Amino acid sequence: MKKFENFIHSILKSKAKKTLVVALTAAAFFATLLMFPAKGVLARMLPGKSANTYSIYIDTPTGSSIEQTREVTQCVTDILREESEIVNMELFYGQGIPLDYAGLVKGASMKRTENVAEISINLTDKHSREEPSFLMTHRLRPVINKNCLSVVPGTSIKMIEQPSGPPTLASIVVEVIGEDITKSRNLSVEVANILNKTEGLVDVDIMADDIFEKYKLIPDIEKIARSGLGIEQVNNILYLAFEGMAIATKNSENHSQQIPIFLVLSDDTKRLSSNNQDAIRSKLASLNLMNQRGMMVPLTEIVEIKKVDSTPMIMHKDLKRSINVIAETDLVSQLYPLLDARDKMIEYFSKEYDVEKEDFSTYMFDLHLTNKKTGEKFLLRWDGEMKVSLDTFRDLGGAFISALVLIFFLLVIYYKSFALSGIILIGSFLSLIGVILGHWVADLVTTQTFFLTATSLIGFIALMGISSRNSLLLIDFAMGLINDQDMDKKHAIALASATRAKPIMLTAVAIILGSALLASDPIFGGLGVALISGTVAAVFVSLLFVPVLMDNTKAMDKKEED
Amino acid sequence: METYKIKNIAGHLSKGFLANPLTPILAFAILLLGYISLEIMPREEDPQIAVSGGSIIVAIPGATPQEINNVIIKPLERRIREIKGVDNIYGTAMNNFGMVNVQYLIGEDRESSNLKLYDKVMQNMDKLPEGTMPPLVKPFDIDIDIPILTVAFYKNRKDDLDNIKLYKKIRELQQDINALDNVSKTILKGVKRPQFNVLVDLQKLSAYHISLGQVAKSIKSIASNSPEIDTSTSTGTITIFGIKNAIDDVDDLQDLIIAQYYGSPIYLKNIAKVEYNYDIQNFQSVLLTYKEKNASNFIDAGDQITLTVSKLKGTNAVLIAEAAIKELQKNRDALHEQGVGYIVTRNYGERANEAVNELVHHLIITILIIAFILIPFLGWRESLVVTIAVPMILAATLFIALMTDQTINRITLFAFLLSLGLIVDDAIIVIENIHRRMHLPESKGLKFSEIIIQATDEIGPSTNIATIAIMLTMIPMAFVGGMMGQFMKPIPLNVPVALAISLFVAYVFAPYLARKLIKYEEEKP
Repeated sequence: MKKFENFIHSILKSKAKKTLVVALTAAAFFATLLMFPAKGVLARMLPGKSANTYSIYIDTPTGSSIEQTREVTQCVTDILREESEIVNMELFYGQGIPLDYAGLVKGASMKRTENVAEISINLTDKHSREEPSFLMTHRLRPVINKNCLSVVPGTSIKMIEQPSGPPTLASIVVEVIGEDITKSRNLSVEVANILNKTEGLVDVDIMADDIFEKYKLIPDIEKIARSGLGIEQVNNILYLAFEGMAIATKNSENHSQQIPIFLVLSDDTKRLSSNNQDAIRSKLASLNLMNQRGMMVPLTEIVEIKKVDSTPMIMHKDLKRSINVIAETDLVSQLYPLLDARDKMIEYFSKEYDVEKEDFSTYMFDLHLTNKKTGEKFLLRWDGEMKVSLDTFRDLGGAFISALVLIFFLLVIYYKSFALSGIILIGSFLSLIGVILGHWVADLVTTQTFFLTATSLIGFIALMGISSRNSLLLIDFAMGLINDQDMDKKHAIALASATRAKPIMLTAVAIILGSALLASDPIFGGLGVALISGTVAAVFVSLLFVPVLMDNTKAMDKKEED
Repeated sequence: METYKIKNIAGHLSKGFLANPLTPILAFAILLLGYISLEIMPREEDPQIAVSGGSIIVAIPGATPQEINNVIIKPLERRIREIKGVDNIYGTAMNNFGMVNVQYLIGEDRESSNLKLYDKVMQNMDKLPEGTMPPLVKPFDIDIDIPILTVAFYKNRKDDLDNIKLYKKIRELQQDINALDNVSKTILKGVKRPQFNVLVDLQKLSAYHISLGQVAKSIKSIASNSPEIDTSTSTGTITIFGIKNAIDDVDDLQDLIIAQYYGSPIYLKNIAKVEYNYDIQNFQSVLLTYKEKNASNFIDAGDQITLTVSKLKGTNAVLIAEAAIKELQKNRDALHEQGVGYIVTRNYGERANEAVNELVHHLIITILIIAFILIPFLGWRESLVVTIAVPMILAATLFIALMTDQTINRITLFAFLLSLGLIVDDAIIVIENIHRRMHLPESKGLKFSEIIIQATDEIGPSTNIATIAIMLTMIPMAFVGGMMGQFMKPIPLNVPVALAISLFVAYVFAPYLARKLIKYEEEKP
C-alpha cells in the first residue's frame, strides 16, 4: 500500500507525469470511440438466443390451392426428417400455429387462406444439444430454400425463431409508400431484389398479394330477366354448386353442436378438366337452373365468361398506401446490411428518381424518391427491428444523459462545487473505454459476432453510478485528511488513493464475479461484458486519473474555517 | 476522553439496532418473506408487455378491394385517427371485406383502449354504407391469446377411430381442462366437425332434369325440428307429445324424394352420395410427426387435434400448466384404451420454471464466489457477514416486488444479477471500514461496538450519496418508451429498490453481524 501511495505521490509531484496520464486517458478514449466507424464493435439491439423450438412459415403465391401448399410443406418436412435433434413437428395447413411471441406481430393469427402453412418444430433440450437453434436454422435455411422454393414458383419460406426481446414484424422492413399502386408494386419488387442481393439478409418477402389470372362470370341481366330467373338465384346456385353451403342443420343429443347438412357438387363432377375458358363453359353448360315456369335453363345461356387479373388487397399504414418488404438477418446485426442495401438502392434508383435522404431522426434511413419525368413521389421507410433498436438506443441515450444530469446535481448539492462534481462525472464517463474494449475482446475470443447491445448500454449506465461511487469515496476521504488532519494536498490525495484502493478493488472484484455468469448468457452477455471490462477501466480511472484531476482543482484545497 | 458524536443516519441506524434483540428476528422475518415470495410469485419466462390494440372487420359481400378501400377503410381510418394514444393504423382492403388494425402506443391501458375503440366504432354506425354487415371489433389480448400450453392429440392405432370420434373425445377433455383454476381460454385446432355431406352428381342431375335449387329446397323443407307439444286431456291431466325429427341419420336423408321423373320418385340417393362425415369444405388441418423416446425414426400420426390452454392475467403459468398436465395424466390410460395418444408440444410453464430456477441457481453461485474471494482480503468472518447480507437484500426486494404485483421472469432475475454487483458494495464498504478501524492505533481503548458505530458513521455520508447516485442512473430507464422499455421495466423497478435496501442492510444488519461474528479483543483502558 505504501508503494502505491508513493507511486501516486510521484505522479502528482511532476507536472510532466500528470500531463502524460491525462494524455494517455484521452488517447485511449478517442481510440476506442474510433472502433465504431472501423466496425471493430458491431451494434445490435438483442442477439439471438438458443431455444427448444422454432417455426417455419410457408407462403405459396396468392391463389394457390391447399394441395400445392401441402406439396411445398412435404418437401420441407422431408428435409427436416433427417435432423436427429428434432423431437416432433406439427403441421398447420391453412392456418397459423398456436399464437406465440413471434407470431404476435407477424400476423400468424390472421392466416386463413389455402396458400399458407406453418410448421412448429420442437427440439431436444438445449442443455443436452450442441447446436444452438439459431445455428440450426442458419444451416438448414439454404438447404430448404434450394430444394423447396422451386416446388411451387413464387413460394416464400421463412424460418422464424423465438425473439430474445420484444417481438417485431421482421428485422428489416422497408415500407414502400406511394399512391399509385402498380408503381409501388414495381418499386417493392425492385427493393426486394436489392435486399435479396445484400449479404446477410435472408427470407426476403413482399407482403402483398400476388396478381393471378382468374375468370369472371358476368351475368347477362336482360337474358336472366327474360328466362324468368333472378340474379340472386344465379349467384346462389353457382356458390352452392362449387363452394357448397350448409343449407340446414340438425340438432343432436349426442353432440354439443348442431350438425349441418352440407350440399355441394361431388368432387369428381365439379372438378374442371383444365384451367381454361372452355373447360369452365362446358362445366357450366351442364349446370341447369329452373325458372318460374319449371323450365330448365343452362347457366352458359345467361352468363358470359371473361378472363381478368385478380385484384390484390390494398394495404394502408397510418392512412397512407404502403407495401411492406421484409427481410430477416442471418446471424448478423441489422445495421450493416441495412446501410449496404440502402447505398445500393440510392445508386439504383438514382437513374429514374431524384433521391433525397431524410434528416437526422429515428427515421434517418428513409429515402424520398421523386420520379424525374412524372414528378410522382414515393417514400422508402425503414422500419422493423432496426427502428425499434434506434428508438431504444435513443431512449436509453436520453436516460443516460438524464442520469448524468441527475448525478451532477446531486454532487453539486453535496460538494457545493462544480469542479469536483465535474471530475467525478468525467471519471465515470471514461469507463466507456473499458466497455468498448471489452466488447472488442469478447468479439475476438468468441466464435460468433459479439454485439454491442441494448443490455450493454444498460450496463454502461449502471457503471456510471459505480465509478462515481469510487471517485466519491476517494474525494471524501482525501478531503477528510486535508481538513481534519491538516495533511498537505498531494500527500492526502496519495494516501486516500492508497487507502481506498482496497475497497475499490474489492467492490470491483465483486462486480466482476457477479457479472461473470451474465457474460456467458446470449442476451445479457453484453451487460456482463460491459460491467466486467467497464469496472476494470473504472478502477484505473479512479485510482490514477481522478487523483490527478483532484490535485489540479482548487476545490480540493483546505477549507478556510469560518 | 470525549464521546464520539454521531453525524450521519448511518451511525444512528447502526447504534439503534446494534444491541437490539429484535434485530435477528427482523432478519429472519425478511429472509422468510423473501423465500415465500420466491415460491408464490407468478413465474413467467418473458415479462408482460402491455400491448393494446384491436382490429375492426367490416364486410360487404361482393365488393372489390378498391370499393372496400373507398367506402370502408379510408373513412374508418380517419375516425380512428381521432382516438388519443393510437400509434399505428393498418388498413387492409380485400375482396368482400376490409380490416383495420389499430395499434396503441406501448404501455397504454388496455381496458380503456379497447373501450375507446369500441366507442369510436359505435359512434359512427350511422355512417356505414348500404349493404354492410355489422362491424366486428376484436381487441387483442396477449395473455389470453398466447397459450401457455399446447397438447397434440393423435390416433395411436390405425383402427376404427375416425376424426369425428377423436373430436368428440377431446371436446369432453377440453371441458375438464377449461374448468381448472385460472385457465382462461382453450381452443381446439385442426378440428373436423361432424356434418352430413350431400355430394350431388352433376351428370345425374341433368339426366333427371333436376336443378340444384330443387335439391336444396327439398332438404331444407324436411330438416325442421319442432318443439314438444303439450295439451290437456278431458280429465285435466297434461299429455305431451313430441314430433320425431324427420332427419335422424343418413338413411333418412338418402330416402328423401326430390322429384318425380316419368311417374317414378327420385330419391336423393339416386342423384347424390350422402354421408355422415366431417366438414369437407374446411381446408384447414393439423398434422403431427413425432419420434418415440430414443427412437430415430419419425412416425406420421396423421390428422391430430391441438388443444391450446391460455391463462388469466397475473396468474402463475407454472401452476396452471402443472394442473392441466395432471388432468391429462389422469385421463392417459382411458385415452390410450380408446386409441388416443397425446404429446405436450408447448409448455411455457415448464420453460418459465426452468428459466427462473436456472437464474436463481446462478445467483446462489455468484454469491458464494464473491464470498470466497473476499476471504483472503477481509478474513472469513467478515466475508461471512457480506454473504449473509446479500440474500437479505434480495429477499426484501423480492417481497416488495411481490407486493407491487410483479412477476418473476427472466428480466426480473436479470435485474437481480445486475444489482448483485452493486448491492454487495455497501456491505463491503461498511465491513472494510470496520476491519480497517479495528487495526488503527486511534481505536485503542475503544469498545468494539463504539468502533463499529464510528466506522459505519464515517463512511455514511459518502456511501449515501454514492448509492443515491447509482439509483439515479437507473430511474430514467423507467421512462424508456416502446416495446424495449416495457420489456426492460423490471430493471428500473427493482434495482433502485434493491440499492435502497442494501443501504439499510449495510447500516443495520452488517454492523450487528460484525459484532456477533468478528472477534475483537477489547483492551482495558
